[in-house]
Amino acid sequence: MTRDVTDAGQGPVPLAAVPGPAASTTADQPPTPGLDDLDDYELLRLHVAGDPHAFGLIVQRHRDRLWAVAIRTMGDRDEAADALQDAFISAFRRADSFRGDAKVTTWLHRIVVNACLDRIRRRQVRAADPLPEGEDRAAEMAGPAQDDPAEVRERQVDVLNALKQLNPDQRSALVLVDMEGYSVEEAAGILGCAPGTVKSRCARGRAKLLPLLRHWQTTRGGKTPESAGTE
Amino acid sequence: MTDPHRSQHNHVDNHLDVDTVADLIENLLPAGEAHRARDHVKACPDCQRTYDALIQLNADLAEEGRADIPMPADVADHLDSVIRSESVLRASTVGVHSLAQIREEPRRHLPRLLMAAAVVLVVGAVGAGIVVSTANQREGSSAGLQEPSDSTPGQTSPIPTLTTAQIAGEVQRLVEGGTGAVIGGSAAERSCAADFASRQPDQRALRLVMPAQVEGRRSTVIGLQADASRDLRVFVVTGCDTRGATGADANVVYVTSVTLRNG
Repeated sequence: MTRDVTDAGQGPVPLAAVPGPAASTTADQPPTPGLDDLDDYELLRLHVAGDPHAFGLIVQRHRDRLWAVAIRTMGDRDEAADALQDAFISAFRRADSFRGDAKVTTWLHRIVVNACLDRIRRRQVRAADPLPEGEDRAAEMAGPAQDDPAEVRERQVDVLNALKQLNPDQRSALVLVDMEGYSVEEAAGILGCAPGTVKSRCARGRAKLLPLLRHWQTTRGGKTPESAGTE
Repeated sequence: MTDPHRSQHNHVDNHLDVDTVADLIENLLPAGEAHRARDHVKACPDCQRTYDALIQLNADLAEEGRADIPMPADVADHLDSVIRSESVLRASTVGVHSLAQIREEPRRHLPRLLMAAAVVLVVGAVGAGIVVSTANQREGSSAGLQEPSDSTPGQTSPIPTLTTAQIAGEVQRLVEGGTGAVIGGSAAERSCAADFASRQPDQRALRLVMPAQVEGRRSTVIGLQADASRDLRVFVVTGCDTRGATGADANVVYVTSVTLRNG
């Protein structure tokens, strides 16, 4: 289940050390032809060298993935948008510290996760009250429907609603480990707690989610009855 | 870990509760308790099904986690505008565009960075996708944070110099420190901010107007608060400080939320 998620920023070759062409366009001019054909690493290299369009292209390519991470972790549309804004500004400015031993998407993903967790921590410090509730907004959080088959969208809405029932600590741990594929140790490093705490939060989160998502298994003709052990 | 004071069994039918089964799967139970729970699961079809369902849930969550979720168009437009704004800032403030050059030669670039704030290219574009070029007088000092204050014609007030990272904290400090609205800037700027507030879809009250240099750009920080909410929606806009500007001229370059402790 664990994907290869390397700690961004560790590695031998910072992008800043790689020479690149001087920028020839500005942000209000059209992108250089052929930019679309470059891979993420090349685009990031051009961004560091001054190309005004390269970073925007990287973000456009991966925006739905990064939105999924943010909305699941934050559980609130405005908070997710704010976290992505913080993350993109941070990534834009720190791009020259990216080292080539991780994929650009992994690096971006990690920055988004950290921006989400920073916002959650700030919110917890500022106010004891939880993020705004409201199950009726889950469909809105799941974004436009037209591209998704009904069943896929229904599951997105289900999981976003269910995740909102967890407290922020459980939700962060469960999203990182169970949904985003970080190992328990990696998640512990990101969350700043012991691996045992991450495992405990995940276990409690799954126990809370089970009755909310169990119909996934029964509607698929699964073997699980509705009620066993959930009362 | 399982709370030792909480019964791990449901007394009605002696099933393990879901927390205990989840802890068992995660190897969080003490050895003796784990042994008993494992034996129970093997002997109890219902708890075995709960065990299986939790394992299946794990696989379902992993599968769901691999799926993207389409970003809403308004969020995508706003983030595109933020990135364009960053690009314009980088190009217009240093002349040379490489991040490495800025990092390696900060002293050489700093004076140009400050000078460049005199003429700021403003990229606007929330939703509308327009690009506006505006020449602004540089009003602020870069000496640090100042309180916002009303400015009178012919007199230039010092205005705070902030980074986007400082916005939330500074707004919180100002608004929580006062009892009513904190309104600064010229009459034109205040009028523009009020018009901007009236154009927001969710009818929030104007709680803060603060002229500021934000990331080198002459900006207006606008705080809007919904009735009975402790959340302040904070917009950093450019284009509001020119004479005759309306809310339609305000280009949002940064948005954040602040939760007020004293509401």
